[in-house]
Amino acid sequence: MKRIGFRLMASIFVMIMSLPLFAQISGAEVMRHVFERPTGEDMQATLNMTITNARGSARERSIMQFRQDSGTIEKKIMFFTAPADVRNTSFLSFSYSDGRSDDQWIYLPALGRVRRIASDKSNESFMGSDFTYDDMGARHPEEDNHTILREEVVDGWQCYVVESVPIVPNSEYAKTVSWVVKDEWIGLKKEFLATDGSVTRRLVIDAYEKADTVWVITDMTMTNLRKQTSTRIRMNEVSFNNNLRESFFSERQMQIGPRT
Amino acid sequence: MKKRNYRNMLGVMLTLFMMLPLTLGAKEVNLHGMLRSHAGASLLEGTLTKNEQTVDLSLEGWGDRTRILVNPYAYIGIGQEPELGIREAYIDVMFEHADVRIGKQAILWGQAEGAFITDIVSPRDLRSFILADFREIRKGIPAIKADFYAGGFSVEGIWVPQFVPSSLPPNDSLWMKEPSFVPDVPIQMNPAKMPSVSLKNSEVFGKIKYFGPVISWEVMGGYAWTDEAYVESITPGSPIQIDQSYGRHTVLGGSFSTSFGQTVLRGEAAIYLDKPFSVITPGAPAPSVSVENQHQVQALVGLDRAILGIEMSGQYILSYVHDHTDGMMEQGRKIKEFSHTMTFRLQETFLDDQLTAKFFAYVEMDPFNTLLRPSVSWSFEDGVSVEGGLELFIGDADGMFGRFQDNSMAYISLRWHF
Repeated sequence: MKRIGFRLMASIFVMIMSLPLFAQISGAEVMRHVFERPTGEDMQATLNMTITNARGSARERSIMQFRQDSGTIEKKIMFFTAPADVRNTSFLSFSYSDGRSDDQWIYLPALGRVRRIASDKSNESFMGSDFTYDDMGARHPEEDNHTILREEVVDGWQCYVVESVPIVPNSEYAKTVSWVVKDEWIGLKKEFLATDGSVTRRLVIDAYEKADTVWVITDMTMTNLRKQTSTRIRMNEVSFNNNLRESFFSERQMQIGPRT
Repeated sequence: MKKRNYRNMLGVMLTLFMMLPLTLGAKEVNLHGMLRSHAGASLLEGTLTKNEQTVDLSLEGWGDRTRILVNPYAYIGIGQEPELGIREAYIDVMFEHADVRIGKQAILWGQAEGAFITDIVSPRDLRSFILADFREIRKGIPAIKADFYAGGFSVEGIWVPQFVPSSLPPNDSLWMKEPSFVPDVPIQMNPAKMPSVSLKNSEVFGKIKYFGPVISWEVMGGYAWTDEAYVESITPGSPIQIDQSYGRHTVLGGSFSTSFGQTVLRGEAAIYLDKPFSVITPGAPAPSVSVENQHQVQALVGLDRAILGIEMSGQYILSYVHDHTDGMMEQGRKIKEFSHTMTFRLQETFLDDQLTAKFFAYVEMDPFNTLLRPSVSWSFEDGVSVEGGLELFIGDADGMFGRFQDNSMAYISLRWHF
């Protein structure tokens, strides 16, 4: 009887101690999982961007994008292939996991040389679209304070709904709310909110698939609710782990174009 | 004149004809280009000073390790002979750690914007002083260029077998400002004699370069001809005969770019060793001229930063002539021992990148004179844009820009890229 009582007490103690580990995950941990979700050592894809203005007229942009992630540095090179007036323009960026400012270069065929550019474009429109340069990269989770608001089902997936408030106040939004699929750590929806709580922009993921064990978003739309404009990005010819050379992310390649 | 145009046209056709079979063997062939209509009117007189249609084509062929590019162009102005030419026509051969480019090519070096310090390989097209598109200022030259790559480092060597000078404005151009030596006595600028084509008269350039995230730098050297001629002799008479010549000099220089925080810092400097300068001594019935070989230094420091979304750039350029003497001339102007020039550029886009406002200024400090270039462009369809702007020459009439104060103009350009 004495032994049974001891075992029961020990089991209850273990259960109580273990309970937070199973039941609780913090907003920061969710966003850390999203940030660290495997994305392959390298990736290449073609992005087709459709920018629709408030009157409904649309403009098209095409980009070939290559990315390489060494764990500490993410290198990305983008080649603009359409429209004709931006064709052969390329953009190279090095992003650092330790939070240092990005290094960025642009090659403009009209100037004929590669130029280092200042990297504070994070809140600026990317190529006149509703995406910002910040949206096109991976925001480090330590730049925001995260709180899980609730859980919701989106598109049949059980999701954490996480509110993220920038630690350094952001001029473009006061906070964001993200819908992140449990255990898969892929975001399905994101809203950008102003200080008055109104939604200014909304990102909706329209299609996603698992390629080479990596989740990839293939179709997404960002809507600017204030300007009544939207930008849809479709990713085609996505492939991972192509053994891209390190020298691919270079000044030489920026001028040659997207030929491996 | 007409004969020369037919020869040019024949040259263009012949080059295209010869390059065509090469593109047929290519795995991928692209033809793209630009049509531009550019018109400018004098602000002083309200007259149309420029009305030019431009066709600029780029035929590009890719193989596995090769690329060819042919860039023919045509300038067609009202009341003037059409000008046809090939800006570039070259073949690239690419290896794993090296590239070789052979043919007519425009080469750009350095970090300066709107200034030519180490960027001296390709001569310039100065016939209009200001071009509708800055890219067109560099002339293609026949050259062999080889690049070798090792990590972030690269070495580039260029051999230019035949010297090509800069193109200067013709005598009847509004951009031609002839020096006046004796009041009311006309002068006759005789074209400079071209050096013969020989190995001895060829030009060589080389540079070592590092491209990296913290800093990018390059160190260059070259043995070149002065792209613009200097005055070699003056013969009295009416008109006064001015004979010109091209001279040899050695150039050593370098450039760098780095960033701290959100600011990009750029620098560039070069020393031109034993560069020939004309020294004019006033006299009657005509001035006399001597040629002195002196060292000249040009240096630039520039800062780029975006504030509130507006791209801003500022540059300071210093020029110094060692053992300077009074009467020293360069490109038809007296030069000082020290001269200071600054440039400023502002650019901002609006309405989802469809509207772009730009402002560029050159400011020469002594004598104070400036060129101000505000412009606005509107992209009303993908690849189609219209641009309007002003070219304002202000300040001292002896200055680099002030001497063109009668040429201030408003312009409009329509571009269609395909």
